Amino acid sequence: MTKRIVVYGSYVAKKPVFQRYWKRRVDGIKQRYWKKTTRYKKVVVSSGRYEFYGKGRDLYGAIWLAHQIMPNGYVVVSAAEFLAHPEKYGTGGFWIDKEVESL
Amino acid sequence: MTKKLNPCSPIFGLSDDEAVMVDFDNVSFKTIKYWAFRTMKFHKLEGFIILRSSKGCYHVVFNRSVDWSENMRIVAWIALLSNNKGLQKYHLLQCIKESSTLRMSTKKQKPSPRIVYRYGKQNTQIRCFLQYRKLIKNIIKKIAKNLCDKA
Repeated sequence: MTKRIVVYGSYVAKKPVFQRYWKRRVDGIKQRYWKKTTRYKKVVVSSGRYEFYGKGRDLYGAIWLAHQIMPNGYVVVSAAEFLAHPEKYGTGGFWIDKEVESL
Repeated sequence: MTKKLNPCSPIFGLSDDEAVMVDFDNVSFKTIKYWAFRTMKFHKLEGFIILRSSKGCYHVVFNRSVDWSENMRIVAWIALLSNNKGLQKYHLLQCIKESSTLRMSTKKQKPSPRIVYRYGKQNTQIRCFLQYRKLIKNIIKKIAKNLCDKA
């Protein structure tokens, strides 16, 4: 397996706000559902990481982009793929200075 | 003057499963050298480099390429015999991820790790490790420069 460049830390991410609603099913049971709203809330995530592999130029671009796009959990992706579709692997936010394990 | 990234930038590291990488906490340089030599001889790892990450904290990278199971066997062997709590925790964390990670950039007040000792062959994994280290440092420098220009 190739060597990978890791970008990790704690961050504040923008997550969509979900709103609950109830609907009566055909069998008469009232069931709770969640719908995505257009609003966003800021959430502090204690640990997240990107693992990039690829060529130097792509790696530079991916790391530059990783400063603005926070990972959705632990992401292992090729730098070229991340540059092509960054929205698939993360959301907006910013990194914060907080103690984090190298997990 | 060297420009540094802002304190809230993420931490950069290198992840690999072929190179034996070890992270010792709260040890003296003499102890780390002893364990590096002993491990190299016992497991025939050809050579090693020691990097100082902060006061009393050292990283060791060995030269020979190994597979993941052998890698973890070696790290577990060192963690058990040296009885180093930091290393035991490091071993568990790496087992969860299935790859070993070492830090390359600064972290809060800690500087980026620097090489303090080299021994034996340096032509396989150590060479790759140092190439990637150089690449990461160049990228960090470039990004810091771009951020400074923007500000």
